[in-house]
Amino acid sequence: MLGFTRKTKVSTGASLPVVLGIVAACVFLAIGSATSDIFAQQTVAGLAQGAIFGSLALALVLIYRATEVINFAQGELAMATTYIAYQLTLWGLSYWLSFFLTLLISFVLGIVVYGVLIRPVQHRSVIALVIVTVGLFILIDGLVTWKWGADLKFMPAPFGNQVYHAGGVSFARQDIGVLLVSILSVILLWVLFQFTKLGLAMRAAALRPAAAALVGVRVDWMLAVGWGLAAVLGAVAGLMTEPSVFLTPTMMQPILLYAFAAAVLGGLESPAGSVIGGLAIGVFLNLVGQYVGFATSELRLPIAFFVLLVVLLLKPTGLFGRRQVRRV
Amino acid sequence: MGMKGRLLAVLTVLAAVAAVAVSAAGGAVKADPGVSATTVKIGGTFPLTGPASLYKTIPAAEKAYYDYVNDHGGVNGRKIDFTILDDAYDPSKTVPLAQELVEKDKVFAVVGSLGTAPNLATWGYYNQRKVPQVLVATGDSYWGFSWKKYPYTIGWQPDYPGEGKLYGKYIAKNMPNAKIGVLYQNDAFGKNYYAGLRVGLGAKKSMVVDAESYDATQTNVTQQIIALKSKGANTLVIFAIPTQAITALVTATKIGWTRDATFVGNVSSNRLFMLSALQNGADLSNVYSTNYVASQTTQKNLPGVKLATQIIDQYAPSLKANYDLGDANIMYGLGVAWTFVNALQRSGKTPTRAGLMKAMHSLNTSKNPFVYPGIKLQTKMTKKVHDNFPIEQEILIKWTGSGASADFQPIGKLQGGIR
Amino acid sequence: MRGLAIRLVVIAAVAAALALLPFGLSDYHKGLAVRVAIYYIAIVGLNVLIGYTGQISIGHGAFMAIGGYTTAIMSNYHHTNLIATLPLSFAISFACGIAVGIPALRLSGVYLALATFALAVSIPQLPLKWSKWTGGSNGIRTHTTPTNEWLYAVSWTCAALAFVGAWLLLRGRTGRAFRSIRDSELAAASSGVSLPIYKTLAFGVSAAFAGVAGSLFVLVTNGFAQPNEFGVILSLQILIGAAVAGLGSLWGGLAGALFVGLLPEVSTSVPLIGSGHGQDVVFGLIVILVMILLPNGVAGLLRTIDSRFKSAIKSDPTAS
Repeated sequence: MLGFTRKTKVSTGASLPVVLGIVAACVFLAIGSATSDIFAQQTVAGLAQGAIFGSLALALVLIYRATEVINFAQGELAMATTYIAYQLTLWGLSYWLSFFLTLLISFVLGIVVYGVLIRPVQHRSVIALVIVTVGLFILIDGLVTWKWGADLKFMPAPFGNQVYHAGGVSFARQDIGVLLVSILSVILLWVLFQFTKLGLAMRAAALRPAAAALVGVRVDWMLAVGWGLAAVLGAVAGLMTEPSVFLTPTMMQPILLYAFAAAVLGGLESPAGSVIGGLAIGVFLNLVGQYVGFATSELRLPIAFFVLLVVLLLKPTGLFGRRQVRRV
Repeated sequence: MGMKGRLLAVLTVLAAVAAVAVSAAGGAVKADPGVSATTVKIGGTFPLTGPASLYKTIPAAEKAYYDYVNDHGGVNGRKIDFTILDDAYDPSKTVPLAQELVEKDKVFAVVGSLGTAPNLATWGYYNQRKVPQVLVATGDSYWGFSWKKYPYTIGWQPDYPGEGKLYGKYIAKNMPNAKIGVLYQNDAFGKNYYAGLRVGLGAKKSMVVDAESYDATQTNVTQQIIALKSKGANTLVIFAIPTQAITALVTATKIGWTRDATFVGNVSSNRLFMLSALQNGADLSNVYSTNYVASQTTQKNLPGVKLATQIIDQYAPSLKANYDLGDANIMYGLGVAWTFVNALQRSGKTPTRAGLMKAMHSLNTSKNPFVYPGIKLQTKMTKKVHDNFPIEQEILIKWTGSGASADFQPIGKLQGGIR
Repeated sequence: MRGLAIRLVVIAAVAAALALLPFGLSDYHKGLAVRVAIYYIAIVGLNVLIGYTGQISIGHGAFMAIGGYTTAIMSNYHHTNLIATLPLSFAISFACGIAVGIPALRLSGVYLALATFALAVSIPQLPLKWSKWTGGSNGIRTHTTPTNEWLYAVSWTCAALAFVGAWLLLRGRTGRAFRSIRDSELAAASSGVSLPIYKTLAFGVSAAFAGVAGSLFVLVTNGFAQPNEFGVILSLQILIGAAVAGLGSLWGGLAGALFVGLLPEVSTSVPLIGSGHGQDVVFGLIVILVMILLPNGVAGLLRTIDSRFKSAIKSDPTAS
């Protein structure tokens, strides 16, 4: 049990400079937003976008913590589940009914993917795992395009199209909705992990599989549930992405890349870190795009990945990770 | 055998491979492939998937027209066999597909391939192999001006810089208080449109307060739209492919940006796309664009529209829903296919590639039923005259009305000299 | 001695088959064969890094982009002879590989994978930013474009050179050092192998191979270099090829190259699935199945069959 408490600390325990840095960043954003409408506008848009990066990054982190897999197919899984929701709305279900049904389907899908594809190669090299998820990426892409075609599809707007004005800043109801839903799903997950028996068993299975098995935790099932929950988070990310870029088979590919950057920034082992990392990257990219003339749209991705590289080289465990990871 | 001996043996064998392989080089090229006694094989590359896939009704409509012609005896007794390949609007994919069309499928000509970058990526290849690359579905001025170096390439639609010029002139003349923000794609297509706009503005170039670019693979343009608004622009000009254009219109409304006017390049001003934008909450008041094809929604009584409806009903029922909502790209596809058939008829009893290019360079007809009434397709290539732009007329249009009757309505008369 | 003789015969047979192949291939299929050679070169390079030194890279498309743009830019601006651009690509990519290899010393496993992935994503975006020199998304082309016959000869010659070069490198002291690092960094270091030198060297060599492959890739794409050509997918394809081949086998690379070079083509003609995105379904499925069923790739499968065969002969009393 001692081991668990120590590990729990890892997931939330940021060092003092990092906490100070975050507080400073928040103060900076608040002052900036108070002095400039445009700054506020870009910040709000960045947060809405960053919340999506964050939820997908969290899905990556969940899977990494459970099975040490970097899941390249996470974005495509999210896209596929969004298409499932689309199909449900086509069949006449209301948006929110489709939404929750899709989360359920995603959960099962995640478990199946783990059981059928990942488990057989789990104890092989990092490369084998990477390639299986890449294969899954290609497979899902092909299946979705086959079934639904690749042209733009539209779903009903989940939050309506109203716009609120506060001072000189406009808040689209949709952006607020996206932000709330993403943050809410992250909080629910945190509660599940931190305060339920299932959560404890899952953490045990991921961190101390042998010891967990000894005390009667069904490790395999717990890892599978981890994959299921990650797929649910992915589905939320996909469904929350759809209103701003609409539905295409490639819609999650850029988002996945930013989610990678977010996950590394926050720390591959740190759920809270990945969400904060996502928000930070979303806001950072928008502000840089607005105020740094050099950073044109071509450089959005390279900038995000430059951040990733710098983090990897200076502090591979990310802002919130503490454990020095060495796997050869 | 010692170590050196082994190495020597290996190297000798490898040298032999190289020598034999080099000597295999060479081989005769057959003249004018793709034409048999009964068929003419043609092909084209189109974005059936990817960011520009809203254009995929164009090749489908072209195929419908060829099927219609084939059922009515074909061209000089030959049926047209049209191969459609998907390059996803990615020029790096277009190149191997061009090789596939020419080297594997052995097409007679490449007709209507879509996209500026994809066509720029392949015109060197087609011209080197002397394969006609005709009626390309992009409006850049390259296709009209580069006949000397690329004699096998020709466009169809009015050119983008000319269209940009039209908007520039209109704004300079009618909107003295305009502060223009431009959203453009960061490639030749977007940049040439933008350059045209600046030419049209003339002395009033300073009306442009900001220009933001996006990459075709990025569908989220929120950051750019907010930036444009932040620079105080009251007039939005969008030179973008459909997905980004729709997203931009929706986003502009979402961030509460009220504008005096919005101009949308005609590549995205399809009624169908506007309906999608409306459905997602975009405010379309004072949206302007241009047009050069007949409209199946506002010009129902034109003979061309009646023919189009009949062809779509019979040969492409899957396009029917889009067609009824006013997908202008379907009419566009029919118009291109009509032009190709017209030229093929004049390419000789047994068509040759040189003959086809000659016919393409001597278009002179007002009979294309699918273009905007009054438009004349005209090219002329003599020693003195070099007119390689088939369509040079456009009409300014504005989004009007609401509900089911909302549509683009023409403003003023057809304007010529678009190039 | 007999083993060597057999090996030489096999090499000679493969070489002869490759030399005779262009006489029987259509123009289009020659182009496909060129792509196989290019994948082979890149896969051999990646194999030096992953299979022999134990360092991961999922970003070799970035080095291919560097090589490809070297050829396109030299040819476009300076009309450099196309063949002469190949050693230049080799050298520049080698230098870039070293430059990446030095910081990579700090990373391993998943973290190295992610860092190299960052390269695969970012490097091909850079030509978009400096479009004045690189043509941006319009791409840039070489001043002349070679025929498929020329390409066939040059690319397979390069592939052969890559094979011989890698073989020579790996059989000697350097190869032993690489393998000892792969098996245990600690043991390697304690037996006097300099980890920084050999690990960076492996990165450099591997990148140089990828650079040449990138140059040829641009040439077979009709002398056209454009950022999307070198997207993430390309990096992943090389990785898939290397893994399918079986890491740690130079011969296996050929199977990997055939796999990624020809499978999409073959799967378009599978009935029921046909063209379009059915081929992605087939490709993805096969990649997953191979990884699950063949832990050591095709080369591993061949080795298993070989040893079973040998033990069968040994246990058969009449065979000796």
